[in-house]
Amino acid sequence: MRKKKVGAIAIRSFALLVALGTAYLGMGKRAMAQGAKTTYPSMAPIEQYFMDRTAEIDLARSAAPESISGDAEVMVLGRHGFETAVTGKNGFVCIVERSWTSAADPDFWNPKVRTPICYNAAGARSVLVRNTKRTDLILAGRTQAQVDEAIVAAVANKEFPAMEPGAICFMMSKQGYGGDSVAHWPSHLMFYVSLTDPATWGAGLPGSPILAMSDTQEHVTTFVIGVQRWSDGTEAR
Amino acid sequence: MTRNQIDRMFLSAFVLVAALIAAASMPAVAQDVKEPYPTMAPVEQYLMDRDAEIALARSAAPDAISHDASVIVLTRHGYETAVQGKNGWVCWVGRGWMAMFDHPEFWNPKVRAADCLNPPAARTVLPYAYRRTEQLLAGHSKQEVIAAIKSAIDKKELPALEHGTVSYMMSKFSYLTDSGGHNMPHLMFFQADKNDAWGANLENSPVMGVNYWYIAADAYPQLKSFPPLSVFLVGVNKWSDGTPAPSM
Repeated sequence: MRKKKVGAIAIRSFALLVALGTAYLGMGKRAMAQGAKTTYPSMAPIEQYFMDRTAEIDLARSAAPESISGDAEVMVLGRHGFETAVTGKNGFVCIVERSWTSAADPDFWNPKVRTPICYNAAGARSVLVRNTKRTDLILAGRTQAQVDEAIVAAVANKEFPAMEPGAICFMMSKQGYGGDSVAHWPSHLMFYVSLTDPATWGAGLPGSPILAMSDTQEHVTTFVIGVQRWSDGTEAR
Repeated sequence: MTRNQIDRMFLSAFVLVAALIAAASMPAVAQDVKEPYPTMAPVEQYLMDRDAEIALARSAAPDAISHDASVIVLTRHGYETAVQGKNGWVCWVGRGWMAMFDHPEFWNPKVRAADCLNPPAARTVLPYAYRRTEQLLAGHSKQEVIAAIKSAIDKKELPALEHGTVSYMMSKFSYLTDSGGHNMPHLMFFQADKNDAWGANLENSPVMGVNYWYIAADAYPQLKSFPPLSVFLVGVNKWSDGTPAPSM
């Protein structure tokens, strides 16, 4: 998406933009990063990114209703990357992503960021795989620039699959921490498709309930739709 | 889904949503509930004033989308283009027969389901609606229509589903079902996946899902051989004019 278009969406959107437009997509991150100061210039001691294992599993599962996350695979962060803590049986994968995949640039190294997400099977195969790879590289000591370069190269070389039809994720947790500028986000679903014009879904137009962000380098367009309840069924508006 | 959502669905959702409830209790429905609309009503009851139909069709999506969309309207022989658009979207007013073939409101002449389809959906979902409507208005039975559609699919006269199909059903003025409030704003997604791929219809899930073709298929077994096609529905909190909608 051209930066100009990102800006246009930003003007028309409510908190979803802040929480989503700046937090999750590379182009959004890059666009918002210009001129932004950060209080997290480098990686904190690695222990600060870890969580108690049981708490991490619970937080990961809170991204989706228990009827979904209760049978999902759960991944937790280890010293070398995400690893399976609970084997699932419904194809969904729940995870607490960290700042380097799920926060705006000023929070890239913010050790407090905790972003619970549950991907469906198609989402796990086509989106989560990129984020776990990014995490592997971060924990191996690569810089942000090196990681970006590696991911973009991997996409270009087709080392990652294209977005599968029906790739979605649930972000309906009441908990989590999106970063110092965006502590929390509205309950929502995200839909991933290979790079496409957001107008195809009517996204970002006045009155549309859909927002979109495109990352031309990773060839992904993400559509976001707010939902009316948190994962526990309580009203979210 | 919560109890409240289930109640709301039963009370106020599009025929697709009402079908979820029917699907869950189909044996009881079949045995205990008399079919409210067993046959087609006189065709006039399904028709609308042309300008009113155009306005209703456009109300399915925010003006930023529907203003430049094509609009199709129902005639005695099928849908025809009333307004040629320029953004690839198509807005229309679905009638009861766009529900599953075994849906109890299939012939309900009051149903007016305003809908705006994005370009991929217009290209690959709408042709099925055209075919179904033309066949039914020509007087063919449901079995004959099902056979005709199956034949057209086999001959590739009807397109395969494209990725990224979305439709907006956010009109405040639709009549989706006889149940309750008759309406609710929502988006629909057409997928070849089954319901469990999106976590649909599970407790507290914001996603509802139905089979496009049938509720149970017992009455029309040939539908089981149709290409899988699910419709996923996500409720939204505003009508197309921006006013808030009731909580689901």
